[in-house]
Formats: sequence, structure tokens, C-alpha cells
Amino acid sequence: MPPSTAVESHHFAALGTNCSLFAAGRSPAELLEAEFSVRRLGARLTRFSAYSELSQLNESAGRWFTIGEELEALLRASLRAFEMSAGLVNIAVLPSMLAIGYTRPLSEGATVAMLEGARPLSPLPDVLSVRRGAAHVAAGSALDLGGIAKGWMADRLCEVLGPNALANLGGDLCAVGAGPDGDGWPVGVAGATLMLRGRGAATSSVRRRRWGEVNHLIDPRTGLPSRTGLAEVSVVAAGGFEAEVVAKTALLVGPELAQAYCAAHALAWWLGPADDD
Amino acid sequence: MRTLLLKAGATLLTFATTAMAAVYVTSHLKNPVAPLRPTVLSAPSGATFSAPGGQLTVGPSVQPSDLKPVTSTYAS
Repeated sequence: MPPSTAVESHHFAALGTNCSLFAAGRSPAELLEAEFSVRRLGARLTRFSAYSELSQLNESAGRWFTIGEELEALLRASLRAFEMSAGLVNIAVLPSMLAIGYTRPLSEGATVAMLEGARPLSPLPDVLSVRRGAAHVAAGSALDLGGIAKGWMADRLCEVLGPNALANLGGDLCAVGAGPDGDGWPVGVAGATLMLRGRGAATSSVRRRRWGEVNHLIDPRTGLPSRTGLAEVSVVAAGGFEAEVVAKTALLVGPELAQAYCAAHALAWWLGPADDD
Repeated sequence: MRTLLLKAGATLLTFATTAMAAVYVTSHLKNPVAPLRPTVLSAPSGATFSAPGGQLTVGPSVQPSDLKPVTSTYAS
């Protein structure tokens, strides 16, 4: 067995959740700088601040709006996610989020749900266009990057902190390199430990961020909270972004199709049935 | 005269090659010992482990371990 590699770790709260960074050959100052980069990007991508880049883009619906490199890359990734998921991962979900009462951070409580205002979502390519340095959101549409942003940011952090690092942003994680002992990074997935090396993992769930009969995971086919017979899905895939997309899609397609979908798109997976099944 | 001979020779060679290929192909329509499916389709698709509330399926490119995890994926 090769000798263990010294690993620096750093834990902090950001993006409304808990975050952890692990890296071999990196200093505490470098991990702290990575935390700052998460905070800076999170402040630009949140929908809960009227001053964020995302909110300004939503405010500019109906006309082209100048955006930074990171948001441009993330919007292009979101369009890929729409294709990968056959339309089930759609970031043009903000009107539905507002309709179900998710109008502010849940730490402040949900507001009254107005489900009659929810509508099936338009296909993302119909309402979002991206060109170099600018984006256009159709009038009446609005974006919420949700878990997509966390998986995508975890992948970017691993690029920065690599070649031997792990970034976990609220359960959406990416692991690159040989890990502490040369066999990859030991990561907990559904109670088991899996060795991840050049992989990502994510969990999509309707057990958290729910209030009353409402949960935060919107089914684009109805514009309403998901009710598919699955309550939680954990996935290992090629990266954090891809894992997030596959986990969310599997949860939305439901128990009949999720097994086959995961077999085609995931490297490991766990399907948790709905609690009332 | 020489040109004509060359053309005739090339034509004969072409017809002969075509005829031999046709005979070979029709006599080797299939290999009776070939597997019914490509080997890759019968490769193991992954192991299944009991996990809280369901089953964890792990593909061949991911290794399970008894080590304590440094972190986990979870719903947030």
C-alpha cells in the first residue's frame, strides 16, 4: 500500500448549505481562496438577491443582457442538461418556484403557494439563447440555477484545486486524482463507501426543502412539484454536473424507468422510494 | 496491339476477381461458431448492495470500499 498523502481540508457554509474542500498538496490559504471563489460566484448566481447577475438577467427578460464568462458557461451547460434529460432538467423554472411559495430562502420560511399559477414549462431552448458574452431570456420566463450550479461549481473547483482534490458543495461533489491513499477518494453514497477518482456524485431528493404537500423539485411537464413514486436518488457519474442532471432526471422519470435510465447514464446509483409507497 | 492486350487482361482479371469474391462470400454467409451477442453486452453490468431504504447498484468502473468516507453525497 502506498504511503498516505497529506490532505488539507476546509469546511464552510455557503450557497445555503455546507461545503467541504479536500486537496493534496494545497495550502490552507489556497483552500480559503477557493471558498472565497465559491462565495463570489454564489453571490452572482443566486436568485435571492435582486443585485445578482442572475437576477439582473431575469429582470432583463425580453432583451439581450451582457453576462460574465462563468454565467455564460453555466447557461450553456444548462442547455446541455436540458438535452441530456430530454427536457426534464429545465432551469426556466423560477415562475413555478414562485408559484409554490419558494420566494425566499427557506430559512426565512415559504410563502403562500398559488399552485393555480403554475404552468408546464416551455422548452429551455425556446426561452433561453446564449451567445458570446450575452444571454437572452424570453419575456415572461425566468431562470433558477438550483442544484445545477452546485454540481457545475464542484467540477470547476476540482479543476482549480487538482490534480488530487475533492469538492463537495451541499452533497453535489466532484473528486479527481488518487485521493489520500492512491485508490481514489472514499465517498459515502447511500450508506456505502465508494472510491471515486475522476468522478462526481449527487443526490436529488424531495425529502428536504418541502413544506406541507409541496416540495421544491418542479416537474417541467406540469410546472408542479414532483410526485413520481421516488423520493430520493443518489448517483455517481463522470462529474458533479452530470451526476446532478442524472439524479434529478431519474427522480423525475419515476421508479419504472429510473433503473434503466441510471443503468444507461450512471456509474453507480441508489433509488429511494417515496415514503408513502 | 499491346494496349488492346493490356485492356483485355485487366478486364479478365476484374471479372475473375469478382467471380471469386462472389463464390467466397456466398459460401461464408455466417460463422456458425460466432457468439450470438457481442461480448460487451454480456459483461457484468454492476454489483448490487443492500442500502438503507433500497438497493445500491455499483457499476464495474466504481470500486466499493470498507474505508471510512471523507465526505458523502446527500440531499441539501
